[in-house]
Amino acid sequence: MKVFIDPPNSLVLFDLVERFGHEPLSTMAAIQERVDNIEVDMPPMNVTLDDVVKGLKYAGVEVPSGVRGRLALWGPLIDEADAAIIMDDCPYSFGCVGCERSNLMVKYLIKRRGIPALRVTYPENDEQAVNFVAQTKEFLEGLQ
Amino acid sequence: MSETRETRLFMISPRSTLTPDQLARMVHAYGAEALVKETCYGCLVEGPRELVLSIRDRVREGYPNEVFTKIRAYPSSDPRRCRAMHGTRPGYAQLEMEWELLARVQHGLDEVAKGARYVPPEEKKRIPVNDFKRICEVRR
Repeated sequence: MKVFIDPPNSLVLFDLVERFGHEPLSTMAAIQERVDNIEVDMPPMNVTLDDVVKGLKYAGVEVPSGVRGRLALWGPLIDEADAAIIMDDCPYSFGCVGCERSNLMVKYLIKRRGIPALRVTYPENDEQAVNFVAQTKEFLEGLQ
Repeated sequence: MSETRETRLFMISPRSTLTPDQLARMVHAYGAEALVKETCYGCLVEGPRELVLSIRDRVREGYPNEVFTKIRAYPSSDPRRCRAMHGTRPGYAQLEMEWELLARVQHGLDEVAKGARYVPPEEKKRIPVNDFKRICEVRR
C-alpha cells in the first residue's frame, strides 16, 4: 500500500514504511520526477506553471504562493495515498521548516480524505522510541 | 517514481560501530554496477532502481537495524547540490536532525525485534483542586 509520510522528507519514516513492506510517498520522489523529466533549474525552488495550477486545487488563490507551491508537490501524493503516518511535536528544524501553515494544511487534507492515519509523537528518549517503532509497526502490519 | 535512475542515501546510526568507509567498501564488494559515493554519514548509491533495491536488501541483511535509507531526488554529485561544486545543500539540516534520532530508533527496532509491544502512555489527568491548593500553599 502507498503510505504518505509527514514530515514528507523524513528518513526515519521513509525507512520504517519500506522496512515493514509498504511504499512510502515522499517529497523526494516528487522532486525526482521534476529533476528527471522537467527542465527546471532547481526544483522545488523553481516551479512550472502547471505546478501553480495544481496547487490551486488544494489551496485557494488568496493563500500565499509558498503554501500553494508546497501543496502542488504534496497534494497529489496525499490523493494517491492509501494511508498516512504523521509525526507530531517535532523539533523546530525537523521536517519541512518555513511554513507551519502548509504543514497544518497537509494534516487537514489527510483528515479530509478519511484514509487510515497514524499520529505518532517525536521520540525524546529510548523508551518513547520503542513505543514509536512498535506503534508504527503495528499500524503498518495492520494495513491490507 | 522513476524506474530508470534511483539515488539512495544510506545513513549509519550513531549507535553503530560501522563506519562510512566500511559501508562503502562493503557495497563496492558486492560487485554491482552502481555508483557508490562515500559521505560523512554513510554513502550514496546510484543506479537502476532494481539494482539499488537489491543493494539495499543486502545491506539490511548485514546490518538490519544500523543502516537507514531513503531515496534522494537529485543525482549523486549533481552540481546543484554537491559540496565540491559549491552547490547549496538545503536538506542537510534535516539529515543532521535525523542522525540524532537514529540512535533511538535503532534501540526501538532492537527492542521490537526482541518482542517489545506498544504500551499506550498514561493519560494526563486534571489535578484535584485540594491537591492544587496544597501545592500552592507549600510554595507560598
